[in-house]
Amino acid sequence: MPDPGREGTTAAGRQDAATTRVEDPPLLSGHGRFVADLRVPDCADAAFVRSPVAHGLLRSVDLTAARRVDGVLGAWSAADLDDVPLVPPMMRPEPGHGRAWPALATDRVRYAGEAVAVVVADDRYLAEDGRDAARVSIDALPAVLDPADSAGDEVRLHPGASNVAMETTVGEPVDPRVWDRAAVVVRARYRHPPLCHTSMEARAILVRPEPAGALTVWCSHQAPHRLRNDIAEVFGLPPGDVRVVVPDVGGAFGGKSETWPEYLAVVLAARRLGRPVRWVEDRHEALTAGPRGRAQTQDVRLAADATGRFLAMELRTDAAVGGYPHTGWFLPEVTARMAAGAYATPHVHVRARALLTTTPPLCPYRGAGRPEAAYAVECTVDLLARWLGMDPAELRRRNFVPPDRFPYDTPTGFRYDSGDYAAALDLALETAGHGHWRAEQARRREHGGPPLGIGICAYVERSGAGGEFGAVEAHADGTFTATSGCCSTGQGHATSFARVVARELGVDRHRVRVVEGDTALVPRGVGSFASRSMQNGGEALLQSARSLAGEARERAAALAGVPAGDVTLDGGTLRAGGRTFTFADLARREPLRAEAQVEPPQAFPFGAYVAVVEVDPELGSVRVLRLVAVDDYGTVIDPLIVRGQTYGSIAQGLGQALCEESVHDEDGVPRSVSLLDYLLPTVAEMPEVAQAETCSPDPNTALGAKGAGEAGCIGVPPAVVNAVADALQIDPPALAMPLTPETCWEAAR
Amino acid sequence: MRITLTVNGEERRLDVEPRRTLADALREDCGLTGTHLGCEHGACGACTVQVDGTAVRGCLLFAVQCDGSTVRTVEGLAAADGTPHPLQTAFSHEHALQCGFCSPGFLMLTAAALDEDPAVADDPDRLRELLASNLCRCTGYAAIRRAVRRAAGSGGTEPPAG
Repeated sequence: MPDPGREGTTAAGRQDAATTRVEDPPLLSGHGRFVADLRVPDCADAAFVRSPVAHGLLRSVDLTAARRVDGVLGAWSAADLDDVPLVPPMMRPEPGHGRAWPALATDRVRYAGEAVAVVVADDRYLAEDGRDAARVSIDALPAVLDPADSAGDEVRLHPGASNVAMETTVGEPVDPRVWDRAAVVVRARYRHPPLCHTSMEARAILVRPEPAGALTVWCSHQAPHRLRNDIAEVFGLPPGDVRVVVPDVGGAFGGKSETWPEYLAVVLAARRLGRPVRWVEDRHEALTAGPRGRAQTQDVRLAADATGRFLAMELRTDAAVGGYPHTGWFLPEVTARMAAGAYATPHVHVRARALLTTTPPLCPYRGAGRPEAAYAVECTVDLLARWLGMDPAELRRRNFVPPDRFPYDTPTGFRYDSGDYAAALDLALETAGHGHWRAEQARRREHGGPPLGIGICAYVERSGAGGEFGAVEAHADGTFTATSGCCSTGQGHATSFARVVARELGVDRHRVRVVEGDTALVPRGVGSFASRSMQNGGEALLQSARSLAGEARERAAALAGVPAGDVTLDGGTLRAGGRTFTFADLARREPLRAEAQVEPPQAFPFGAYVAVVEVDPELGSVRVLRLVAVDDYGTVIDPLIVRGQTYGSIAQGLGQALCEESVHDEDGVPRSVSLLDYLLPTVAEMPEVAQAETCSPDPNTALGAKGAGEAGCIGVPPAVVNAVADALQIDPPALAMPLTPETCWEAAR
Repeated sequence: MRITLTVNGEERRLDVEPRRTLADALREDCGLTGTHLGCEHGACGACTVQVDGTAVRGCLLFAVQCDGSTVRTVEGLAAADGTPHPLQTAFSHEHALQCGFCSPGFLMLTAAALDEDPAVADDPDRLRELLASNLCRCTGYAAIRRAVRRAAGSGGTEPPAG
């Protein structure tokens, strides 16, 4: 068999193989500084009393015994507060209208794990003693878990407001005659289980009151300026009085972009006590009360003519957004807009709804609406291929948006910027050794052997959103500062952003120091989510560096008495009329700094994934023999980091496909309460992975980078599920993620 | 209870409650915050430290159980002169960390294993078995596997796919 693309063997992977990240030494020597590692004198610990039931009327919270515990400094429920802080809306206020989210539950609880009181003590052990001494009385109401039940509004979570927190349609309704006249119409239903982000560091915040009502907030977060603005608004402070500092962050994956109710309760407690207070979420809390991702239920209809050309697609998707629609409402909308997939389907129509359920809040989880769309499209394409008796790869090729149609306006309202989808698919198939595996599959089907299947996902996704700030300053000592409004949560910005600036200025990257994640040092910023850091933040730094170089040329020209156009910049040295200057020379004369605010349009990275699997029909176990990822992120700045990001997202995609699900019982009580029930992939679950890239630079930026880092979560689940269905010769919708041995064993019967 | 630990070569006299975990004693009482807590129920291995040369979960041991023991944490992994441990160098070169939260646990786990038998790096099954005891959410593990092989002198390339 062919053996192309062993890990890290392509030119792109090798090019920087000897490069290490500047982040690494402290993290590898125990000198990283995560929130829980900060030593702030006199800091107390907070623990939360949480609802044991999914839905109910909160009758009383008795904290008498909690307050008597030695070392407990204070304990508050909503009943102790004149004014319970409300979680501020995110992006759009409408979904939250009539569906207010108090930092501590007031009269009703809407998910098991919802915070009803906060207990603060000298240390964590004592805070938990206090928490355990609290007595909570709740009259249970019916749990609402199924989105279909929710939509009927028979049991309303927020009296006076519908459980339908958002409903939107995109695309034009499909003319019924299109369905009637199509050669084939396939229908499918999919359920995406709720997932837990499971960053190895869960959520964490430390709040220190400062003189005159100001606050310093250290938080494991993706969007420090938003957190600052939210806290300032909620507590009636000028934004400048709140300093948010993001130290090292132990992964985020979308779960740390928000201003969670617990954060507001910690701010409240710190202000009341006049003392620093921290909350370090433990794993049990993260798995039971923390945010969730995915949780969509979808109905899909796809029509094609006899040659396999797609005529129309319709998607109805309902997201179970939890008890409060905070950020969850916008995920089904993302799915709706991505529903065209990589195809030039003429008619695409989607209805997307955000439905309240008595579960923890839904929020973006790595992929954030795009994996759900890719799954609906790609599994249905394989279903259609089965019905037509056509090769799934060929069916895709026939329907791809062709390279000459970019920019391509989808029926769902997105403008795809660039790409060659067939090239990515062909490279993926070649890298996978597709022909070899098809022959092996045929051999086994004829002569026996464990069922073997090949699955494809050709995805297109969306990256980057909104504006971003960047600034570059040259210093007299020859170093540079690159300031960004983004905020690394483990992606290595200190290395990759420095590289953007260093390349543009022709200087060594180790002379560029990256500053981000501190609202006192960064005047404004949006943050790191939606794969936006390099696409938007990198572009802002590139533009800043260009402006800085332009200003340096002007100054060198003036000093040398030559036109600016005659000044050259090479290797960090400016040559002007026989004189040479470094940036440091110029910075010594007067400050040399430039900044930029950019807002490039969103980009549409794409790629193709191929999975080869073997199923043990007696045990139901799935063995992934080979996984190929071909991604097109446009211009890649740091291949090592980008490949690492892809690899990690592949592992998370495999987790989604094979083992991860946050399970609730019929009363809505979480059953996945530890990492022994919520299963993450270990090294033992990781197959052989081959990575390769195509490159279609973003035509809308100078840098050309599109978002990277979420693709594996998008590409892997449909590829694996399609492969298992292919192995078992069944329709992909007959399989529901996660593909546990029980699921596959049932399907194989 | 009064206990004595020798942590990274330094004697520490601590007064701890019986319920205090070793990980909390190291982090809060000794100020060695390189040992991280990822789950506090023994599943993720982020808190892995060495007690008398054996890799253990710091969250599953009470500090009092370790009275009189020698404990090594990630802060004590480099040589006394500051030279990084080969694993620390290899993790960086192989890009075996992203957020770095789980890295101290993987380092202490694999350092103990390589001390005991460097050949573990050459045996794909044993190496997989070893690394499967810890969780990482960022890297997908392949780079960690390469790093251990590199540190053991086996080269950073993968063993033949099996």
